[in-house]
Amino acid sequence: MMKGLIIKDLMCLKKQLTVFVYVLVGVLIVSVMYVLSARYGNIARAGAEMLVENDMSEIDVKNLSSMALVFFMLLPIAVIGDMANVFEADGKAGFNKVAGAFPVPLRTRLLSRYITICALFSLGVLIDILIALVLSTLTDLISLSDFLGIIVSAASVMSIYSALVIFFCLVFGYGKEQYAQICSLGTMVLSLILLQWKSVKRILTVITESNPVAAESIDSSFIWGALDFIKEKAWILFLIAATVSILSYGASLLVAERKRGVI
Amino acid sequence: MDEIKNVIELNNVTKDYGDFKLDAVNFNVPEGLVCGFIGQNGAGKTTTINLILDIIKRDAGEIRVFGKDIDKDSASLRENIGVVFDEMGFHEFMTGRDINIMMKNIFKNWEEDVFFDYLRRFSLPTKKKCGAFSRGMRMKLQIAVALSHHAKLLIMDEPTSGLDPIVRNEMIDIFREFVLEEDHTILLSSHITGDLEKLADEVVFIDGGKIVLSGNKDKILEKHGILKCKKEDLNRISDSLIVHWETGSFGAEVLVNDSHEASKLYPDMVMEPATLEQIMLHYAREVRK
Repeated sequence: MMKGLIIKDLMCLKKQLTVFVYVLVGVLIVSVMYVLSARYGNIARAGAEMLVENDMSEIDVKNLSSMALVFFMLLPIAVIGDMANVFEADGKAGFNKVAGAFPVPLRTRLLSRYITICALFSLGVLIDILIALVLSTLTDLISLSDFLGIIVSAASVMSIYSALVIFFCLVFGYGKEQYAQICSLGTMVLSLILLQWKSVKRILTVITESNPVAAESIDSSFIWGALDFIKEKAWILFLIAATVSILSYGASLLVAERKRGVI
Repeated sequence: MDEIKNVIELNNVTKDYGDFKLDAVNFNVPEGLVCGFIGQNGAGKTTTINLILDIIKRDAGEIRVFGKDIDKDSASLRENIGVVFDEMGFHEFMTGRDINIMMKNIFKNWEEDVFFDYLRRFSLPTKKKCGAFSRGMRMKLQIAVALSHHAKLLIMDEPTSGLDPIVRNEMIDIFREFVLEEDHTILLSSHITGDLEKLADEVVFIDGGKIVLSGNKDKILEKHGILKCKKEDLNRISDSLIVHWETGSFGAEVLVNDSHEASKLYPDMVMEPATLEQIMLHYAREVRK
């Protein structure tokens, strides 16, 4: 029974899925061009210049190149599914009323949204893994395990965002999906600031006081440390995403039961 | 004699929105009949239907559908209910085919052959987006969906409003066909009393969130009558017979609750049969007095 609702959600995301396919093709082309350029073209030349002029190590230059590549690679995951679009489409059509007359309990109707997210991100991750497999075999820019870490981290972050969007969409009701998107982003940024409060304080000190001693403390190891965390400890982000999704489902169910007719 | 089985039972159902209250609503819909749910816009028809379908939660009272408490398992009860709302509710980008794909994965008893037969019968294109459908086509699409999963109960909220007489009559024919099966029942809400006069066996009249009148339609029509008299004769008429009266330039018009008795008592006055619309209007005005 839930399958029908997932199919409907996918129909609502048809436009987004079309964009996903285009982005995917674009990413494939850009990746190939990037790999060629990193080996024989301008990127390779720029890397060599950076080594000479900017006092950077070879590893730093390699990291920079691989990060730029990863940025392209993550685009498919970023565009694959925004549940706010499904809520918006349902609200416009008045589908909530029709869904209320289906032989599907409220908890199942809500669960179908989370399963749709899960299915979409799994698809995005799978495709990215396939690209990563090809790129890591053909080049030495980035290893498959690093790729996997980054992909899982990105999918986890997007899952957290989507789970929060569902909750806020139910809280605000139909027609206010933009607020849900803003609140979800705000919650994520706020959580990150609170979790990294010490580092944020250090950055703020540098910005507000132009303190050279503090500025020295924010060296490249701070940025690479974060990237290493993403690459090597993606499972932590994955666990956070799973926990946030479960909590979001529970809270959303409470809101949906109380408000009735919003999903 | 067989006991009458009620498909829908509402006992003291209350829902308070603050500015509107559905107040201790009681009525039953017997199996195999068409029950017309009459009332003006905003009288509480849609709220009652949403409560029956468990789309919204009631504050008090009991609702039973097919003899079962809806609190226990409303979702599985809805497997046997076909619902038609006043607005389509399907996404405008969906085609008949899309709806079929969705519905066959939602209803256990979904029959796609039946659905496409209905689409053909209603001359609804299967590949056209339903956003491009006229209001009549949208209602027919909803009816096709409601009739394609072997529903035993059809609940319809203003399905005929805004439709031209030809389409309305077509729909009434479909509803008649549906109730030919003896265990099929319809609850049809409408403020167009003419449709209900043609179709309904039972009538429930709601006004201001309260049930004003309910029972067998023919008996209600038979009992009530419009008594026409001079204004000065109004005080001759027994208060117990009067539901409501109105005066105009040609005299007075009185809705009486026992037309036979009134005819006997006042042979000098003209007794005319009352229509459901007249009954609804007089009761509504009396409540507002």
